[in-house]
Amino acid sequence: MVRLITHNLLACHVKGCTSNNFPLQFQDVSIEIREAEFNPDFLRGFIPKIEWKALVDTARQLGDTSLPLEPPEMLDDEFLKNLHHVLLEVHVEEGAMICPNCNHRYPISNGIPNMLLAEHEIA
Amino acid sequence: MKYLIAFAQAHNEFRLPELDSVSELYGFEYTLCQSLDTSDPQRPYMVINLESEKHARHLARRCILVKAIYEFYGQGGTYRELHEANRANRALWERFIPDTSFKFIVSAYNHTIPQARQTEIIESFSYMDFQGKIDMKNPDNIIGCFEEYTDRHGTTRNKHEGDGHFRQVYLGRLLEEGSARQLIGHFDVKKRVYYGNTSMESEISLLMTNQTMAAPGKLIYDPFIGTGSMAYPAAHFGALVFGSDIDGRQMRGKCRPPGVIRAAKQYGVSQRIIDLCTFDVTHNPWRCGSLFDAIVTDPPYGVRAGAKRLGRKRELSPARYAAYLEHQKAPRPNDQPYIPPTKPYELSTLVADLVLLARYLLKPSGRLVFFLPTVVDEYQEIDIHSMLCDGMEVIANSLQDFGSWGRRLVTIKKTASLSYLPPAFMLGEAAINDHVPAHRDFREKYFQGFKKDITASIPNEERKDN
Repeated sequence: MVRLITHNLLACHVKGCTSNNFPLQFQDVSIEIREAEFNPDFLRGFIPKIEWKALVDTARQLGDTSLPLEPPEMLDDEFLKNLHHVLLEVHVEEGAMICPNCNHRYPISNGIPNMLLAEHEIA
Repeated sequence: MKYLIAFAQAHNEFRLPELDSVSELYGFEYTLCQSLDTSDPQRPYMVINLESEKHARHLARRCILVKAIYEFYGQGGTYRELHEANRANRALWERFIPDTSFKFIVSAYNHTIPQARQTEIIESFSYMDFQGKIDMKNPDNIIGCFEEYTDRHGTTRNKHEGDGHFRQVYLGRLLEEGSARQLIGHFDVKKRVYYGNTSMESEISLLMTNQTMAAPGKLIYDPFIGTGSMAYPAAHFGALVFGSDIDGRQMRGKCRPPGVIRAAKQYGVSQRIIDLCTFDVTHNPWRCGSLFDAIVTDPPYGVRAGAKRLGRKRELSPARYAAYLEHQKAPRPNDQPYIPPTKPYELSTLVADLVLLARYLLKPSGRLVFFLPTVVDEYQEIDIHSMLCDGMEVIANSLQDFGSWGRRLVTIKKTASLSYLPPAFMLGEAAINDHVPAHRDFREKYFQGFKKDITASIPNEERKDN
């Protein structure tokens, strides 16, 4: 849980924190790899939604260098398999996500991130 | 090609929406046979036109409310009419005459046909002249003949009274038994390893899943996932599911891994639960919109579990707020995580917000599917339409009636292809004055027993507090 597909879709939402609030930085993470079903059509459809640089940087931080710095024009099978692995098979089980702008810490416990905000962060 | 659908005797109002969704999912169309007396979805048998047999099989394999689908041979108000229609359709069954094994089944809706007359009915089809052997165990063909009687529930009558006075009789060849109905047992909440006190029963959650048109490669979101009842059937049909809830305890349960994941493992779909997140939908961290193919949810009505959102019922005084800020700066021991305060989230506001959120998060043509509890006597069509916004249209709205209250399964489609800004989550409160829907303050009405005079005054007083 907290797969990189999710990480790529979540931004810090503390009130007033509207720039440089993505991607959240992983901290003290423990990672598990779990196999998932490969669906090339889903991946092709999802690529336009990805913030590519954030995905590649995060994957590299977690030790996966299989993705190119720019998304390739030709989506061959090998590329899609690597993308599949990075997006859906890498699970961050424990640790935290830190906002690069306001330093809010979103803890991850048991694979579930706690994205609740404190009272002074919403009003 | 005409096909006869035998429906399961449940959720009559949900039949047509389900046929609509499943046929749209597989990319074909069906039409009702308007000329015949069978287009009323309240009735147990329905004759529809389909382009091919394959489409009929899709319906039988995916529709929860389809008991069986027959190739339609004929119908009538009397057996004379039925035989006449059947003779005219000889081309449909002629090829089975030489040597196809078969069996006849005769049954009735709202009635039991005496054994002697059953034999009589079967004999009356002797002109079809099937030469193949009669096989009661593994026939190649099952020919079904069904009499439909009007509901005489609540009247005292003798056994077999009114026999033969049916409303309509139908004949067809069994094409396929509905296999999706078995999933109701498969997803039975009682056999699930993890569930809560508000987990949705399996039949309804399967019906909702069909309204989302869940299929492999689709991304579905449940913003009030709770114990995950909506997620399992959606994942079963191949969709990837994302869930969030303001209360992480519902998703986690007491042991590891989280309860929702344990139940998903039981069904072999844990890899399709993309992620679970704890957050309040009114303060959500989604980076962008137009992400999901469907949003399916059973929002908290406030009867057994109340909806909550971040905030305080009563704002802190400036002095106490300053003290709170001071307290926030101090380090916190690891075993005592900060729990933010929450305030009630009134149902009609929640629903209006949900529609706006769905418009932001859904892809074009994406669907929002949810249950809306409502007071049956007070419900008006406008209750649903007053919560809509530009670019969102209701495509199905069916009632599950519990007597004084009921719940409506609402399917809303994002018809706009534009991208929308995320909702501000305040508009709901501004819109309140225009129209007061029957589901407003549902919790209070429920606990007042839906008495009209009391419900008018009490919720207003409570509202001042919020």
